[in-house]
Amino acid sequence: MITVKQLSKVYGKGEGLFTALQNIDFTIPTGSTVAIIGKSGSGKSTLMHIISGLDHPTAGQVLIDSTDLYAMRPREIDEFRATQMSFIFQAFFVEANQTAFQNVALPLEISGVALRERKKLVAEALDAVGLLDKSMVLAGNLSGGQKQRLAVARAIVNKPTILFADEPTGNLDSATGESIMALLFELNRTLGCTLVLVTHDNDLARRCQQQITIKDGQVSSIKSTSDRRAK
Amino acid sequence: MRYQDLLRRSVRNLLSAKARTLLTAGAIAVGTFALTLTLGASNGARSYVNKIINSNFDPTELVVTKDTRAFGNGDNSTPPEYDGSFGSTLVPGGLETQIKRLSDDDLTKLKAIPGVQEVRIANSVSVQYITAPGQRKYVATVVPFSPAQKPDLLAGSVTQLNENAVLLPEGFLKVLGFDTAAAAVGKKVTIAVQKQVDQTGIVSALTQGGAPNAIADAQMRPSMHKDYTIAAVAKKPTAIISASEFIVYAQPKTAQALRDYKTTGSSDYHRYLAVNAKIRNGGDKATLTLVQKRIKALGYGAQSVEDTQKFLTQIVSVLQGIVTAFGFIAIVASLFGIINTMYISVLQRTREIGLMKALGMHKKDITKLFRIEAALIGLLGGLIGAVSAVLFGTALNPTIAQKLNLGDQRLLEFQLGQIVILIGVLVLVATLAGLFPARKASQLDPIQALRTE
Repeated sequence: MITVKQLSKVYGKGEGLFTALQNIDFTIPTGSTVAIIGKSGSGKSTLMHIISGLDHPTAGQVLIDSTDLYAMRPREIDEFRATQMSFIFQAFFVEANQTAFQNVALPLEISGVALRERKKLVAEALDAVGLLDKSMVLAGNLSGGQKQRLAVARAIVNKPTILFADEPTGNLDSATGESIMALLFELNRTLGCTLVLVTHDNDLARRCQQQITIKDGQVSSIKSTSDRRAK
Repeated sequence: MRYQDLLRRSVRNLLSAKARTLLTAGAIAVGTFALTLTLGASNGARSYVNKIINSNFDPTELVVTKDTRAFGNGDNSTPPEYDGSFGSTLVPGGLETQIKRLSDDDLTKLKAIPGVQEVRIANSVSVQYITAPGQRKYVATVVPFSPAQKPDLLAGSVTQLNENAVLLPEGFLKVLGFDTAAAAVGKKVTIAVQKQVDQTGIVSALTQGGAPNAIADAQMRPSMHKDYTIAAVAKKPTAIISASEFIVYAQPKTAQALRDYKTTGSSDYHRYLAVNAKIRNGGDKATLTLVQKRIKALGYGAQSVEDTQKFLTQIVSVLQGIVTAFGFIAIVASLFGIINTMYISVLQRTREIGLMKALGMHKKDITKLFRIEAALIGLLGGLIGAVSAVLFGTALNPTIAQKLNLGDQRLLEFQLGQIVILIGVLVLVATLAGLFPARKASQLDPIQALRTE
């Protein structure tokens, strides 16, 4: 469970003071799907960065289960992120001049997994996104949809408990986007990891169990979808 | 992150920008090239000096002079006062100068010094000419042969070098009509030496009335011709003095006889620029130094083989220092190249670094990644520079040796240990240079970095 308590983020000082987030409170149950919705500049990305330990809040707490994220030392936060969290970005961020295998292996390299174990986990992750046969292909030679699938494989290879997806379909056409979303929801079910989707797309958000809308740095609404998981 | 993963990533990064990597390493290679050659040249020069000294000098001997200025470290603030011991000598550059010389009295004094076993006269005699039957005449210098000398012989044996024999350098073979060194051994050569002053002739001319013609006739100085057997033929000497005259070795007594004939009646008779004093137990450094002090206390100049060696290697060291300094400047300049290249690399890989940080890579590991990259560039540059210097030097050694008349000696001697240490230092310094860009990379804000499209 992710608990966000009285979270605030302020940039700058004096005249240039800018409040990006103000007194944010919510909880996300373990294994659920949640959408953080907001227009660009609403503060939704900042919120995601703070929940994932990439940024520091000015005030407030982020509790992951019972762990206070910002009570930890930077090195411990890195460790936590390497083993518990994963990211999928709008622009994929796959390394074009590395093979699919090398791209997916990165998180395992970072957390120091032995080579033999690494090969097994990478193969599993590539299989889960349907790219097993592209293992030795350079990422630059893959299509947009395949690149995002590769990013998904990289995100699930370390068996994270929380998966952050920042506009994962933003750079894809609707059919490809749809297949990526289907993949993410399926992984949420099969792996049991919490899916935090950051988006400005309300249709996409509605398919999550919970929608947290951010407006001008504050939570404007929290809704739960009654019809459980969509398709 | 594991070291082998960091290493693999670094190698991959370097390979993905091959031209940049090679050019940066190339700058280091230039400095390494210079330093490797310098090290090789100074090794070669030192061993050359040692070789000359070991094959020409007896380490238990001291070279003794009357004039303390002879070793270039005497008092030059006031001109020396004249006395009868002065004689003229030529210094390099053709300047004729006055220098004090040792007399027989001095030799007696030296022999009386405790610890001095023997005093040997090593002075050369420039004879009038050397020739063989039916051949032309050639100039030569006769030098007393010292038992410490180990000349490279082409034929014959030093044991055959008696009072009526000479040791001939190979340069004389052809001009004196010998086809091979072996053919020359046992054959005769004639050495002529001319009196500097014919005192007896002048005296008798004077007593017979002093007719100007008679005196002029007497001044037609007489010569002595004597035949000597060729005991052995030596290879072209590994000459420390550029051989303007060809050196013929003979027994000290033989050389002395030639010199005495030449100088009788002149102010050069039994006057020596320098003599060699053999020291009892001179192999012991303390003893040698003690006797050296005793000799110096009597107002003589005294230099040991070690002093000569030091003096010669000092010149080598100075030259080595200059080239080393240039090599280091080149390396320092190339370090800026590394820093620059790595900064560009950090900029280019901002997004990748951001991603790695987002995925939980520690700052320390990011620093390591870039430090390893810098170290690898240093290693590559060092290897390229050292290997090309060794190849270049090895290929050029025979030509250089020929041009400089070094004989078998190689000018450049490479020692693996030195080169390994040099490359080790380079890797270390390159790693230090990589610290700045590595720090920049590790301090990148992942959020900012990931915004870079």
